[in-house]
Amino acid sequence: MASIELWNHCENPYPFVPAEVLDAAPAVRASLPNRYCDPEIAARLYDEVFDEYRLCDELGLHIVTNEHHSGINNLWAASPVITGIVARLTHKVRILSLGTLITVRPDPVRVATEYATIDVLSRGRLDIGFVKSGATEMVSGDANPMRIREREWEAIDLIEKTLTSHDGPFSWEGKFFTHAHVNIWPRPYQQPRPEFWAATSDLPTCAELGRRSIINTLLFGGYTRTKQAFATYRQARADAGLTPPNEDRFSYMAFCYVGDTDEEAMRVGQKIPWFLTVSMKSMPQMSKFQPGQIAPEMAPAAWRGGASKRPTDLSVASLIAQGQMFAGNPDTVVRQIKEFRRRVGGVGRIIMMTRQGLVTHAEAKKSFTLAAREVLPQLQDLEPVT
Amino acid sequence: MTLRAGTLELEVLRRGSGQPTLLIHGVNPISPRAAFVDFLAQNVEVIAPSHPGFGASARPQDFDTMYDLVNLYHDVLDALPAPRINVVGFGFGGWIATELAVAGARKLDRLVLVDPVGIKISGREQRDIVHFFNTDPAELNQRAWHDPARRPNGIYGLGWQATIDDTMSDAEMVSLARNWDSLCLYAWKPHMYNPQLAFWLRRIAVPTLVLWGASDRVVTPEYGHAYAQRVPGATFRAIAAAGHHPELEQPQEFAEAVVGFLTA
Repeated sequence: MASIELWNHCENPYPFVPAEVLDAAPAVRASLPNRYCDPEIAARLYDEVFDEYRLCDELGLHIVTNEHHSGINNLWAASPVITGIVARLTHKVRILSLGTLITVRPDPVRVATEYATIDVLSRGRLDIGFVKSGATEMVSGDANPMRIREREWEAIDLIEKTLTSHDGPFSWEGKFFTHAHVNIWPRPYQQPRPEFWAATSDLPTCAELGRRSIINTLLFGGYTRTKQAFATYRQARADAGLTPPNEDRFSYMAFCYVGDTDEEAMRVGQKIPWFLTVSMKSMPQMSKFQPGQIAPEMAPAAWRGGASKRPTDLSVASLIAQGQMFAGNPDTVVRQIKEFRRRVGGVGRIIMMTRQGLVTHAEAKKSFTLAAREVLPQLQDLEPVT
Repeated sequence: MTLRAGTLELEVLRRGSGQPTLLIHGVNPISPRAAFVDFLAQNVEVIAPSHPGFGASARPQDFDTMYDLVNLYHDVLDALPAPRINVVGFGFGGWIATELAVAGARKLDRLVLVDPVGIKISGREQRDIVHFFNTDPAELNQRAWHDPARRPNGIYGLGWQATIDDTMSDAEMVSLARNWDSLCLYAWKPHMYNPQLAFWLRRIAVPTLVLWGASDRVVTPEYGHAYAQRVPGATFRAIAAAGHHPELEQPQEFAEAVVGFLTA
């Protein structure tokens, strides 16, 4: 029998910049002057979301933090800082940092140190997630956007070795990182190390995650891409002679709102696509023209006619149809998640992006409560996916 | 046509006869359709390889720094049979040419730097070189040309992204994307310069001409003057009604200036 975990992911968006400013600005990520960020409002938002995390801890919903920089979409600018706070605010649930931007940060040993510290102070409730980073992040972090996949893997390797080495200093002389003397204190609480996750739908990367038993999560990948990614993961393990993966190796992040009724969920849920319609706008040099973003062979398709990957139909109904959102009353959401699980061949961890866009603190708490009390119990002891 | 340089095989454009003159390109390889190439080839032998990762030249695994490019161009000079070779470097390629000259490349005869990048002059809060990768392509296109409308058809300089239209073929797009990726790999950080290079320009011991588009607003003529002042005995010459690519905007005047200097 299999069970599905529910995780809450909130990026702590800042939807309080006047619409006329956002409309006039060429970009709302990386370049919008921070005079538009009122620290008083930001402080209130931090309080609210940390309160939501405490509620999740009571309800049994696990927690995800992440980081993005210099934009209205995300006030979690330093995931380890936020994750460390969450570790002390909560007592029961697991905490996933998904993640600090290891392709931007210069020293993976420092990253490992931060995570080991959080693992100890949470007494072993930390999971560590890796993300490749987006185009605006390369500019905000002044990191070369070329070769980031290789850089990411070397960073992961160095972080893993740092977390699992306990016999005195070792040295690292890699292609992207060097460190003459690595010996972190404290060592992590979990042995041999906290669970690793990575967010990707890039198939060669999914295959490598499979070979390494790292949890593969997709963000809004929809049915087809998600199924393909998980199949690639499974196949890579089979090809390497490894055991088939359990469903807990697979995770999926979707927009989510659970209401008392389908009508309520659709209405409140319609506040969430702000994430896609408003908070993504970035400069052309930080999107389709940034080096390394697409293989050169894909350039004609990406450049012709100003082609944009941004979906045009952003109703809740269309997002549900694409498998990018779960919304409805608790039974409806259970049905949607079970359907998603069936269509992608199994998934063990659903990450709900609920406090997003214009969703309020009160609305978020209501959805979490319903998700924990009425959705989660129905996702336990499930028959295997056939 | 290819040129074997050390262990690498490079795409190369060759035209004309006379003094061998190596052209080291900037953001994109030297176009065989560029008028200045014909003007130069009437007087000198033009040899214009594509850097690894540009045009049809392969980029080997782990070839990814300016250090690799400079050593490769030492290989290129060694691979050419002539005992003395002129070098003309354009923009980013001007930086490579400067590094070669500072290192005292044995065969280097005369050096022409065309709106080169590569050195840091002003303070930490002033940028000498407009950021290639973090500037709106529309702005870059305005800054790079005296008159963007005079860009020769099918030839691309900085800000080329702003000129994409239906006449551009898929093959051109793939090539431009590949060139752009490679340039970024080599020169993202520090962006387009070597922090140590300005100090060592005094080591350049060959006759040097610094040519500059008077309307270049990617790297300004003031930067060019400062560059030339650091090279012993260098001559600075501005080309009117031209931006970052004077060879494309004023091909005849450009070629006359270069040939005049190389054959003096």
